[in-house]
Amino acid sequence: MSYVSQLRTCRAAADLVLILVAGAALAGCAGSGAGLDAAGRPVAPGSGNGPLTADFASIQAHVFTPICTVCHAGAGAPQGLRLDAANSYALLVGVPSNEVPSLLRVKPGDPDNSYVVQKLEGHAAVGARMPFGGPYLDDATIAVIRQWITDGAARPAAADAPAPFAVAAVVPAPGDVVAEAPRQLVIEFTAALDQTRVDAGSLRLERLDASGAPAGVVPIRLATTTADARTLLAVPHEPLGAGRYRLVANGAPQTGLASLASERLGAGAELVISTFVVGELP
Amino acid sequence: MTRLLAVLLVALALLPAPAALAEPYLAVQQGYQCNACHVNPTGGGLRNDFGTVFAENAMAMTPLPEGVPVWSGRLGDFLRLGGDLRASWSRSDVPGSPAQHATGVDQLRVYAAADVIPERLGVYVDESLAPGDARVQEAYARLSFPASGAYLKAGQFYLPFGWRLQDNTAFVREVSGISMTTPDSGIELGLVHGPWSAQLDVTNGAANAGTGAGHQLTAQAVRTLPGWRLGLAATHTDSPAGNRDVAGLFAGVRTGNVAWLGEADLVRDAGFPEGTRKLVALLGEADWRIVQGQNLKLTYEYYDPDRAVAQDQQTRWSLLYEVTPLPFVQLRAGFRRYRGIPQSDLENRRFAFLELHGFF
Repeated sequence: MSYVSQLRTCRAAADLVLILVAGAALAGCAGSGAGLDAAGRPVAPGSGNGPLTADFASIQAHVFTPICTVCHAGAGAPQGLRLDAANSYALLVGVPSNEVPSLLRVKPGDPDNSYVVQKLEGHAAVGARMPFGGPYLDDATIAVIRQWITDGAARPAAADAPAPFAVAAVVPAPGDVVAEAPRQLVIEFTAALDQTRVDAGSLRLERLDASGAPAGVVPIRLATTTADARTLLAVPHEPLGAGRYRLVANGAPQTGLASLASERLGAGAELVISTFVVGELP
Repeated sequence: MTRLLAVLLVALALLPAPAALAEPYLAVQQGYQCNACHVNPTGGGLRNDFGTVFAENAMAMTPLPEGVPVWSGRLGDFLRLGGDLRASWSRSDVPGSPAQHATGVDQLRVYAAADVIPERLGVYVDESLAPGDARVQEAYARLSFPASGAYLKAGQFYLPFGWRLQDNTAFVREVSGISMTTPDSGIELGLVHGPWSAQLDVTNGAANAGTGAGHQLTAQAVRTLPGWRLGLAATHTDSPAGNRDVAGLFAGVRTGNVAWLGEADLVRDAGFPEGTRKLVALLGEADWRIVQGQNLKLTYEYYDPDRAVAQDQQTRWSLLYEVTPLPFVQLRAGFRRYRGIPQSDLENRRFAFLELHGFF
């Protein structure tokens, strides 16, 4: 072996040793998991983790929380889809997919046309199979999710407990300045709406002038999204132009939102749900 | 055209060592900025003239036989095309579950760039053809000012943040939320001047898709010199779900035949149900160029999903062998070992894969 070859061999060996030493120095930093559940969160008193069953709470505990929230959590969740226990139902059931808006993420009673199933099974029209990069859910787990959807995609039983009726979230949120006109306003309530009492007069979208006074009413169409109608969509008939807007719940007794306004402000009053700006104000 | 290729080949012959896939370690090995080989100033995707000739002549174990016509990337004077295919077989072993095998196309992309006004105005498209239906990943116009090195990009594109790794499942890419799976729409003001590269982006925020609300501000500055590179990046997302701030420090250095890469990302995210979480992701990577056309990659990754919770950290080791027997064809074999809390089988899985990578 020539001197040059020996030198190259020694240099290569030195490179390898350097890599291995650096790697060894970094090894062994995974957590012990003491005091944590399988999702890596502190164990809550009385929490259990039984077998996977075709109900939302079980699917949340076995699939969404430990697997999906690795990416789908927090303000950086892909597609804005947060699958933590507090948000997943509201963002899944009856909500149009961002990637294929003609499909609902979960369409109660119809797993074949539920986008989440298509993503999990790997035949969605857009993008990679989920969970991204694998391992993918086995057939038995997907079958349980399908069964839950076939059964109507009901909420977890615990969440059906009576709760004070209030606005849980609204998009655009109060004070938001949005560059692009939203195609729809999304209002989620803490309890189900009485759909028979929700009509065109339940919400009103006002356009405001520079002083903040109402300058007109924007025609909107109201639609419920989830199986038990906690979420309401307000869809403007025409795209919103630049300007300031106010979304108001009508407290008139004949509307489904009467209790919301009257509890806060008194019978017959109105409740401002959100004031937001589209584009930039002069 | 022939003259241009001749000039590029001469330039190539003067290079100190081979390079060049869309992998940042190659740039560190060569001391190049991203735009040395890519049309996009922030790297990835379509190669420019230099990058194409480089891929043809300097990265494979054996060159193409003489007389074999090779792809130049150019269609006429104003249009350039390229593509990328990754197909793989993989095996996942999750404790307590049967081994899972998967085979398929991971990625099929085609790239196109039109020089509407050469060196001034260009249009770029990155179209994903698989998996799923065709989908635009990037589509933007770029107005360049050659005298200053400044440019303005508008449309849909990948944000600049940290190492633009091919592996989108790396902790630093998942935790930062910025990878080549998360294109965003907006504008980018950039500068590539001497050893410096810097970008400032104002975009909608990929995680704000469908809400019509929120925005994202991203800034990055990188200094590249022969043998090393140092970068700093930050991004702020204003989101209906809560604000999110990410800061990243990344660096690369070459020692002999080894390119070392590191990145540290710190995240402050107010979008969790219980409030704000602070997350940390680290990457350490060593790429050993065994001989021309063969690379051994070792990576170590660390992820703390919540700084306020003790003993929840995860790690990931990867060992990959990459061989490029011929220009435009690469074979990759890799093994990844995940380590996490013992009560999570998924965090303690093993993953092995074989990949065929074709590019032009």
